[in-house]
Amino acid sequence: MSKTNSDQLHGTLDMLVLKVLEDGPLHGYAIALRLERVSKQVLQVEEGSLYPALYRMESRGWLSSEWSATDTGRRARFYRLTRRGRAQLAAERESWLRLTLAVQAVMRS
Amino acid sequence: MIRHALARLRALVRRDAIAGEIREELQIHVAMRAEDLERQGLSPVDARRQAARRFGNLSVIQDRGYDVRGGGIMETIVQDLRYSLRLFAAQRAFSVVAVLTLAIGVGLSTALFSVIHAAVIRPLPYAAPEQLVRVDVQVPQTGGDIFGLAPSLVDVRTWREDQRVFRHVAVDRGEYNLIVDSGEAERLTVHRVSEGFFDVFDVRPFRGRAFTAEDTRPGTPLVVLLGHSYWRARFGADETMLGRQIRVAGESATIVGILPAGFHPLVSVWQPYPREIVPETMRGSGAPVVARLQPGLSREQAEKNLSQIVGAFDDAQGKKAGTTVRLESLYDEAVAGTGPMVGTLSGAVAAILLIACVNVAGLLLARGATRQRELAIRASIGAGRTRLIRQLLTESVVLAAAGGLAGVLLAWVALDALVAIVPLSLPANVSVSLNIQVLVFAAVVAFSTSLIFGLVPALRLSGVTVSTALSGADRRSGAALPRRSGQWLIAAEVALGVVLLAGAGLMIRSFARLVSVNLGYEPESFLTLQVAPLDPSPAVAAQYYPALVATIRQLPDVEVAGASDQLPIGGRRRAGFVKLADQPAIRIDEREVLPGFFEAIGLPLKQGRFLTDADLAAGKSVVVINEMTARKVFGTVSPVGRLLPVEDRQPEVVGVVGDFLQDGARSPVRANVYFPYAGMDSTERRPLVVFVRPRGAAPGLPVRLRDVAQGIGTRVLVDRIWSGEDFVSESVTVPRRRMVLLGLLAGVGLLLTVVGIFSMTAYAVARRTREIGVRIAFGADKPDVVRAMVHDAIWPMALGLVAGAGGAFFATRVIASLLFQTTPHDPVALAAALGTLAVSAIVAAWIPARRAALVDPVVALRTD
Repeated sequence: MSKTNSDQLHGTLDMLVLKVLEDGPLHGYAIALRLERVSKQVLQVEEGSLYPALYRMESRGWLSSEWSATDTGRRARFYRLTRRGRAQLAAERESWLRLTLAVQAVMRS
Repeated sequence: MIRHALARLRALVRRDAIAGEIREELQIHVAMRAEDLERQGLSPVDARRQAARRFGNLSVIQDRGYDVRGGGIMETIVQDLRYSLRLFAAQRAFSVVAVLTLAIGVGLSTALFSVIHAAVIRPLPYAAPEQLVRVDVQVPQTGGDIFGLAPSLVDVRTWREDQRVFRHVAVDRGEYNLIVDSGEAERLTVHRVSEGFFDVFDVRPFRGRAFTAEDTRPGTPLVVLLGHSYWRARFGADETMLGRQIRVAGESATIVGILPAGFHPLVSVWQPYPREIVPETMRGSGAPVVARLQPGLSREQAEKNLSQIVGAFDDAQGKKAGTTVRLESLYDEAVAGTGPMVGTLSGAVAAILLIACVNVAGLLLARGATRQRELAIRASIGAGRTRLIRQLLTESVVLAAAGGLAGVLLAWVALDALVAIVPLSLPANVSVSLNIQVLVFAAVVAFSTSLIFGLVPALRLSGVTVSTALSGADRRSGAALPRRSGQWLIAAEVALGVVLLAGAGLMIRSFARLVSVNLGYEPESFLTLQVAPLDPSPAVAAQYYPALVATIRQLPDVEVAGASDQLPIGGRRRAGFVKLADQPAIRIDEREVLPGFFEAIGLPLKQGRFLTDADLAAGKSVVVINEMTARKVFGTVSPVGRLLPVEDRQPEVVGVVGDFLQDGARSPVRANVYFPYAGMDSTERRPLVVFVRPRGAAPGLPVRLRDVAQGIGTRVLVDRIWSGEDFVSESVTVPRRRMVLLGLLAGVGLLLTVVGIFSMTAYAVARRTREIGVRIAFGADKPDVVRAMVHDAIWPMALGLVAGAGGAFFATRVIASLLFQTTPHDPVALAAALGTLAVSAIVAAWIPARRAALVDPVVALRTD
């Protein structure tokens, strides 16, 4: 896989994770399920690769996390969007829209 | 950013906790997935298996997660550090040699840098030193010459009032050794300055006040300031000394102030100048002037402005026009003449530092050769090249830190000893210390050397391919690459060592010539007694000295005794002029003597007779002159019986004595005129020095002389009793220090070179044990094996000797001006340097090589 592709994939994964967390905190497995629903592609290779991405985003200050209990009373680590995370999501959404609009314009012409 | 770093640091401490937390989180994920799959109908075993498969390699993901959340680079650094320390602890011999070598290099250069810093970089420890200047007036003479003279007191006053050029200006009459009596008489350094002097240097008294214009007027009661260190040492820093009285040169003086610590620490007492009637408008009356320029004013601009002021003043006074003012920066004055010695010292220290670096690089390289296997194993289990380089560099940095620290410690311990022998005239007001700049210098030296000697071996070793290292191929071939590098290092060390030794050899040769110069008298055969009555009045002295000399002559072990107003070497000269009709004036030095002086110091009589007691008693106007005066004044005509028109007198010449070198071997012969004591009018009667020629060994004579001097009647202070040789020895102090210091540096350089060659050969032998074993097994003669090992070191040594000889040829030019009657290309010095180095180097290689002969072939071949 070339570097550009890998970066694009990272970027896409990050954006999707942020988007998924927009509605409220989730634990890792729940995030994986949501992502699965959106697209089988993103975590196609291995589900586990979600976690290094989560840690990276946390270290950048986009996410915060804490251990808490699930509905079924199980212990799990929940991730929550921070203010910077929301700002990042907004920025990514905008650049994504700009890109898609540009692609649409080209495709329609 | 900071929070991030803190998190990483925390991660370092809680490594296991974080790793466990990650593992738990990942396991929960897999468990949840398995539960879901089970709910979809899979068997528990299949569910778990599929969940695990879909998740991926848990260990790898955990590691990747840890890379993000864990300690990261910080952790690697700590790991590297821990590893390096363990390694150094394990290889104690290597570590000790490497750290000591570095410590010597860093320590010496740090100590010398602090000396050079004091002497050259910051010789004026005052605010804005670039504003400080010495002021001279340039007076054109009839005939075109220009005399540089000290400004008159009126000039100084004019400039001070003018304020446009100088912020402060003052007269600095200089230092005197006067008898100070504060309950106990002692001879101390007294510095005489005008008001405003301390302002020039931006120094305010620590207690009390500075001198005012009123203090400097003739006839006012004497006030003095005390130097800080004198005040502490003599009066125990007693603040109530302010307002108390002491006696300075017999005059009662009130202490009005104490100067701050560090300001001219060698001056005990400060006294206002002039306090006597001096020709106020006369330029060149001999008191130098110092000043601080107004800020922002350039020296050229200041000179122009001052010349205008002087011109206007001279105009108004009806004086001759054309006088200008010249300013010299006090900094230039302070560093004048230090160039060659500073250059030599810097060069020598740089050479030692280089040798130290080469040594450590050689050690690292040699050790690295034995570590290729370890590095290859680390590479094979996944350490990247950068990681290996980082590890090797970390080891160098640890070494640098240890060596640097030890070096600073060494510098700190050795500094005082070094200052005591350093052949630079350090400004009296500067103290040499390990200040912040010096410490920064040490750190830069230690770490830059660590990079230089660490990087090359690191790059080389990290490039080792796994297969060759693990197969042990290089062991059989004796690791060709480090071996050749090692030989280059030996060559470099030998070359540097030769240059250092050649420099030292030249200093030794020069010094030997210097002390073997015939001074014209016999310094080995007389003692001097420096003594002065506490009462400074001329009448007391005129009675005391003749009586003292007469008494000394009566002592049984005294052959002859006399006196002179000048020390055998050094001391102030008193200039006079011989004026013959229709001839330019001839400059001579006037001396006053008590009969017996010539015989005591062994000055040969050439014509006529010596001065006698009868001359003195009769108050005859007679003189003895030396050959130089005879030649200059009378040419080939015999001077005995003729009149010598000196100043406004016409004494008769009764004898001619031999010339002598007044200020030691390097000084010129001067024209001397010897007057009988008190036969010369003088405003300033100086204390006499008594010269005694003992009969035989006379061991107890100095003690008896002291007793006699104190038993004549008046209270006196005996300064010191020195032999003529003490003076000669003191006069060659600077050349001797040069010789000692350069000899010391060369010795250290030689030692380091020997250590370097020794350790590199030892490692070569250790590494080639197997090859040697094979040779011996095949029947090689043991001496042959040793020779073969030494042989490997021979050609780099030879190359080093040649390069060193060439280097010395150029490098020693730097010290040409420091040598006395010795050319910088002196073949004896160079040959001695080459010989010493060759012999030491061969011995250094031979000792470890001998071990090769002790190799047991069976054991050697069994080693992997």
